[in-house]
Amino acid sequence: MAVQGIWSGTISFSLVAIPVRLVKAIEPGRISFRLLHSKDYSPLARRMFCPEEETMVPRDEIIRGYEIVPNQYVLMTDEELESVSPERSRTIEIVDFIDMKEVDPVYYDHPYYLVPSKGGEKAYRLLVEVMRRTNKAGLAKFVLAEREYLVAVTSRDGALALTTLHYSEEILADEDLSPKKGKTAAEEQNRMKKSIERMIENFDPGKYADKRRKKLTDLLATKAKEKAPVEAPVVEQEEGAGPADLVAALEESMRKVKPR
Amino acid sequence: MSRTFVEMAGRRLSLSNLEKDLYASYGFTKAHVLEYYRRIAPLILPHLKDRALTFKRYPEGVEKDFFFEKRCPSHRPAWVKTAEIPQDDGEQMTVCLVNDLETLIWAENLASVELHVPLARASSPETPDSMVFDLDPGDQAGIPECARVALILRDLLSRTGLASYVKTSGKKGLHVYVPLNRKETTFEDTKTFSKAVAGIMQKHYPDRVTARMAKKERDAKIFINWSQNDASKTMVCVYSLRAREKPIVSFPLEWRELENPAELGDPERLQVTHSEALNRAEEKGDLFREVLVKEQKLPHL
Repeated sequence: MAVQGIWSGTISFSLVAIPVRLVKAIEPGRISFRLLHSKDYSPLARRMFCPEEETMVPRDEIIRGYEIVPNQYVLMTDEELESVSPERSRTIEIVDFIDMKEVDPVYYDHPYYLVPSKGGEKAYRLLVEVMRRTNKAGLAKFVLAEREYLVAVTSRDGALALTTLHYSEEILADEDLSPKKGKTAAEEQNRMKKSIERMIENFDPGKYADKRRKKLTDLLATKAKEKAPVEAPVVEQEEGAGPADLVAALEESMRKVKPR
Repeated sequence: MSRTFVEMAGRRLSLSNLEKDLYASYGFTKAHVLEYYRRIAPLILPHLKDRALTFKRYPEGVEKDFFFEKRCPSHRPAWVKTAEIPQDDGEQMTVCLVNDLETLIWAENLASVELHVPLARASSPETPDSMVFDLDPGDQAGIPECARVALILRDLLSRTGLASYVKTSGKKGLHVYVPLNRKETTFEDTKTFSKAVAGIMQKHYPDRVTARMAKKERDAKIFINWSQNDASKTMVCVYSLRAREKPIVSFPLEWRELENPAELGDPERLQVTHSEALNRAEEKGDLFREVLVKEQKLPHL
């Protein structure tokens, strides 16, 4: 299967640089719906509405503001936003090697794979193998879609996996969550430990399925078979009083501008 | 973006930005370009027919960037006729055939100010139906020098029994066409023949003619470009507008217009503008008609 890369560049550390492509490791299985107009099944479009003037706002009148207190905004232009955005990365430069066990899973954000690009296969295989043996993860900073991420690169099933990590300031403090320290009875602990041990299994993700998704796709399939889908009307783009004759249209336009 | 819908021969066309100034320093909008092509259509269409169109598009006007487009845009209306042309890499490429007014107007709506076509039809891409000499004056040469070389070329060709026809390039040069219209002729034939003719011209008129591409050899000379006789090359179509400050047309001339030095005295005379092109076309009809129909056999050299 040819996977489409969402980024391509090189992964490097010290003297090694390997051309790679970044590909998604997951495709969230959400089924999405279009919103239609019940009268004629036209797909609906989003428009920006100004409640003050009770009117639709055209694109060129829309700007960005950051709300500091209710109803007070700091304006931000595209240029200003651009000025703080990082440059697109060409390389994933590994700066440290760490033990992945030290990373609390709460830091895991999004999983990807790195696949070798043309000419990089041999060096890629070498890196995969060495990282598997040392059992370490490479830490790197990397810009994707205008954001700089901290990423961990690991060796997994003969390939390089890349996981974006959350920054520590994104992690909510958990001190308040745990109840005050106190003693628990050893007997109670043992009883609970035993019942856990009875329930131990190997993790088999195939055993668990998104039941709602399954039911929903079945329902959609049945409905599509039972009854022909409704059809949106053919949209005539905005136009005035119907199609004009070419000569009339050109003359009308030329009247506005006379050649010098 | 402004849009105007028109209906032509039962086909709907959406014309965009008709007010766009395509010749900004001349005040000639997209509507004017479309109007020119609409009126010249009876004359230009036979010369575009069944040939792979190369669009030369000037979306921001002739003073700004342009791009060539050989592939027929995938967003074309369903009624645009196309052909499959084999490319050098063996792949097929879908090209547009401008066989009717609607397709011509659609192509012009894409700001394809200049229309370029090959010397062969799409159905027989290896068979040129004419041979061309592209006369390109060096920096110190002008239309009068170019006209003299064209006349010598015409005489040389007629001594081998070949009639030839001339059009302005719409820039500084002239294009001399020799109709062939025989399915036996190949580009190899026309290339060999035209190269030999250019060589003879250079040998006999070394101070007026060069058959070499190098710009520095041109100066006050006329470069006879024979290498246009190739399946992969295109020529600006007769009656096409050119992208210059003014809307100048690549327009056919009568040989006597080049013979008459009084007329040549005014080089502007040979710069046929859009309005003059329409007047002349009405008066004279298609002076390039013979290029499409006259059958001629290249003599052995």
